[in-house]
Amino acid sequence: MFQTLSTFLPELFLALSASLLLGFGLSKTNDRSVIVRYISVGVLVVFAFMGYVLDRPDGVSFSGLLFNNDFSDFLKAIIGLSAAAALMLSKNYFQKESLDRYEFSVLTLYAVLGMSIMVSANNLLAMYIGIEMQSLALYILAAFNRDSLRASEAGLKYFVLGALSSGLLLYGASLIYGFTGSLDFETIRASIALTGPTTGIIAGMVFLLCGLAFKISAAPFHMWTPDVYEGSPTPVTGFFAAAPKLAAMAIITRLLIVPFGDIIGQWQQVIVVLAVLSMVVGALGAIMQTNIKRLMAYSSIANMGYALVPLAAGTVAGVQGMLVFMTIYIITVIGVFAIILQMRLRNGMVEQVSDLSGLSKSNPGMAFGLTMLMVSLIGIPPWLGFFGKLFAFVPAVEAGLLWLVVVALVASVISAFYYLRIIKTMWFDEPNREFIRAPRTTRVIAIASILLVIPVLILPGLSGAALGLADSAAQALFAQ
Amino acid sequence: MTPVMQTTTDVALAATDERNWVIWSLLKTGQVLLFVLTLALLVAALVLADRKIWAAVQMRRGPNVVGAFGLLQTMADALKFFFKEIVIPAGSDKFLFILAPIIGLVMAFAAWAVVPVAPGWVISDINIGVLYVLALSSLGVYGIIIGGWASNSKYPFMGALRSAAQMVSYEVSIGFIILTVIFLSGSMNLTTIVDSQGPGIFNWNMFLLNPFGDYGWRILLIAPIMFYMGVLFFISALAETNRPPFDLPEAESELVAGYQVEYSSTPFLMFFFAEYVNIMLLSAMMTILFLGGWHAPINVSLPFGLQVPPFFWFFLKTAFIFFMFAMVKAIVPRYRYDQLMRLGWKVFLPTALVAVALVSTFVVAANNFGWNA
Amino acid sequence: MLIAITFYLMAFTAVAAAFMVVASRNPVHSVMYLILTFFSAAGLFILMGAEFIALLLVMVYVGAVAVLFLFVVMMLDVDFVELKQGFLQYIGIGATVALILLAEMIMVGAVYFTGESKTVVPTDPNTTNLEAFGQVLYTDYAGAFEAAGLILLVALIGAVVLTLRERKGVRTQNAAKQMSRTREDGVELIDIEPGQGLG
Repeated sequence: MFQTLSTFLPELFLALSASLLLGFGLSKTNDRSVIVRYISVGVLVVFAFMGYVLDRPDGVSFSGLLFNNDFSDFLKAIIGLSAAAALMLSKNYFQKESLDRYEFSVLTLYAVLGMSIMVSANNLLAMYIGIEMQSLALYILAAFNRDSLRASEAGLKYFVLGALSSGLLLYGASLIYGFTGSLDFETIRASIALTGPTTGIIAGMVFLLCGLAFKISAAPFHMWTPDVYEGSPTPVTGFFAAAPKLAAMAIITRLLIVPFGDIIGQWQQVIVVLAVLSMVVGALGAIMQTNIKRLMAYSSIANMGYALVPLAAGTVAGVQGMLVFMTIYIITVIGVFAIILQMRLRNGMVEQVSDLSGLSKSNPGMAFGLTMLMVSLIGIPPWLGFFGKLFAFVPAVEAGLLWLVVVALVASVISAFYYLRIIKTMWFDEPNREFIRAPRTTRVIAIASILLVIPVLILPGLSGAALGLADSAAQALFAQ
Repeated sequence: MTPVMQTTTDVALAATDERNWVIWSLLKTGQVLLFVLTLALLVAALVLADRKIWAAVQMRRGPNVVGAFGLLQTMADALKFFFKEIVIPAGSDKFLFILAPIIGLVMAFAAWAVVPVAPGWVISDINIGVLYVLALSSLGVYGIIIGGWASNSKYPFMGALRSAAQMVSYEVSIGFIILTVIFLSGSMNLTTIVDSQGPGIFNWNMFLLNPFGDYGWRILLIAPIMFYMGVLFFISALAETNRPPFDLPEAESELVAGYQVEYSSTPFLMFFFAEYVNIMLLSAMMTILFLGGWHAPINVSLPFGLQVPPFFWFFLKTAFIFFMFAMVKAIVPRYRYDQLMRLGWKVFLPTALVAVALVSTFVVAANNFGWNA
Repeated sequence: MLIAITFYLMAFTAVAAAFMVVASRNPVHSVMYLILTFFSAAGLFILMGAEFIALLLVMVYVGAVAVLFLFVVMMLDVDFVELKQGFLQYIGIGATVALILLAEMIMVGAVYFTGESKTVVPTDPNTTNLEAFGQVLYTDYAGAFEAAGLILLVALIGAVVLTLRERKGVRTQNAAKQMSRTREDGVELIDIEPGQGLG
């Protein structure tokens, strides 16, 4: 009993805290949004380390619904920390826009709970439930600024397309169930080993991948991304860009490696197509963007493409590369959004690239930070982004996907253009406006992110440990 | 007589033998006719009783002209409705306008198919009878909505919306209340639910005060909850059937006659009929779920070894519940619409939910600790 | 014999009513046909021996979901003739989707007949539907069931967050406050001297 309990303790902890916080916020005599936010951040941090701190056996819980191992522990740590950062970032924004409601923190917790179920899902049913819980909370967060037309549009668009993707996913899952007779990942694998990849299984798998590609906004399922990124409240966009992408990426990885691990020949081409399209769409689409949130949307599409490249290799190193790349991407993107959130004039937020012009003169610190982050996103050594791409592309080369890596490099070069354009705007254009001083939490998170992006060479111990964790996570997935 | 098996098996059995299914169909048709005729006669009696009780509370005489003590009043009313002209409003949706009362009446009668009125006296003793009754009573609302909409008139439409919202709301709490009974009986079969209560008033779900039963003295732990559930069921039944004090759909002062405004003659009669059949259904459900069905409250011994027929007890209890319905109608003032909704969603639903949690905990504990040995 | 007749009756009604949902001009009629479709489907479930699913279908879809549909449709004031004019515009896309679905169904059906697919092992025929459902929902998939409850909670929070507005200046009834009024709060007995008034 308690043996089983320990295998899903992080989820249980999160669910209970979220529900208790909901009750705590509801029974209000005064507004409790601030204290609920701080408690939620604490809960998320505890949740993040729970998998590692609890010395628990790898294990199945709920008769095979969830399977916890190093892979899921690693992802939960990253997801929990990035969600905590996003939650801290939201504080000042929501207070300024007088939107601060305690439900925001509670919904974030539920979204993280959904992601947590996703990353440990060992069953198509658990996977679907995790995705739905996460998505439903995210739809609400996207439309959280309900008086804003654009936020409502973003929420509705996200909801409709998300529902469509869930439909695809369910259709695929039902095909898989029909042709293998099971929802359980390992049983599906055994069944495929027996029958080989039949038409039905392949069709089901492609549907599953299409549905999940929506969630990571890989092209050609990316259409919602720019609008939702632009319309949602900026901290929510920051949250969208980080944790949900990682969770969806994780479930794709688990799906490909565990149940469909033996038929790599069947899914490799699908992943390659998704990767190539995403990289091209992301690189080309961003060029014309003037809104920095839309630009980040296209940037995330491109980055999901890069993350899919090592996955196409289907090896331990590939999975490790994906994890390292995604972690670094998340660190960077949180920093970028921490800086976007500082673009506040006396009469409100601005989010055009042109608003950054001459930032080096008006606010050199911020300009320096954003430059660091952009350089890292381009992938210039010795910044962290370079190592992300290195770890991502090497396994693909080793697996003989050289041409895919070439495409990725070309896309990187193209996308360097718009990152550099932002840098150029900041350093060489004339200043035209002055941002008000940013609140401390936002600055602290931005600085932390920037520090993490730069000195990878100074902290070999830390990076070594992180790599080790990613490696054991990848190993655990293959050992399953 | 052992309970007849489920519908599916019935059909399957009937199909295996060509000769059999003809006989089976005829038999069932006969049973259905018997039920419908009895119900129809009872409705006539109940309508009169309703009016008489109402009158007595208000110190009037009530109907007393047609027949001795006005006994034939309902018959006369029915005849009047039959022979009047059916008026269909010009702007109405004619098909739906006629269909609505038919749906209402059919659903009201159909729910009786699973109601056991005495051991073995049931048309179809299916193993999820409770669910069947709930499902069909949730369909009854269509008669009202469609009738209100098809009339193409404002008052009926408002009345229809109100009553639909009301019925859907109270159905939720009725579902939860019934759940507590299902937990205690461990079955959704209505016959089993009745048998699990047994003879003796203190074994009935509403008055679980017998400390010598299966659960021993511990039954007293949930006795107050079940009594409260019984009360809640009764009040929800009032709301579910649109009876006073929850008869907002037809609140004369606000909506004239609600969804029935445009109806006259036979279609009106059908609505009227359906209403009373539904009231009887919920009285019977209350009897089955909380008052021990056909079981006797105390041990009655008749001379010459005669027995009180079980049906008599069932009828007596149902009639008593109906008497309560009529008394409430006479005594309690009407609720306002928002108060009605508040009562349903904010009082009944949460308390019923808590009761479900408590009773299920009790049952699980009883099974684990062997309290029901 | 009886089963066959019932099956064909139900199946025909279901398909015909489903067609009429799309073809009907009046949206309220469409919803009515939808209800008929649900109802026939429930009948088919009963024929298959799945009486529990059948009644749940009636209760949930017919008794609750379709009622809400009907509510919305009745209160809508949309010019449906105008809405139908876009019909031809989308017929190409619609037909494509329908064809794809048809092809897939044929594919799945073909696989079924060639015996490539798996059959799910039926549970013990002696257990009732109810027991089988209880086993699956509350034992095998208890975790998923609880998580589904949390999803509903999230939806509930969402509905409240996105729609509830606390409007100022609206007089609302506070039942608890009303109930807690005592005689002392409400009634004041004043002994008025004759000829002096309240002053």
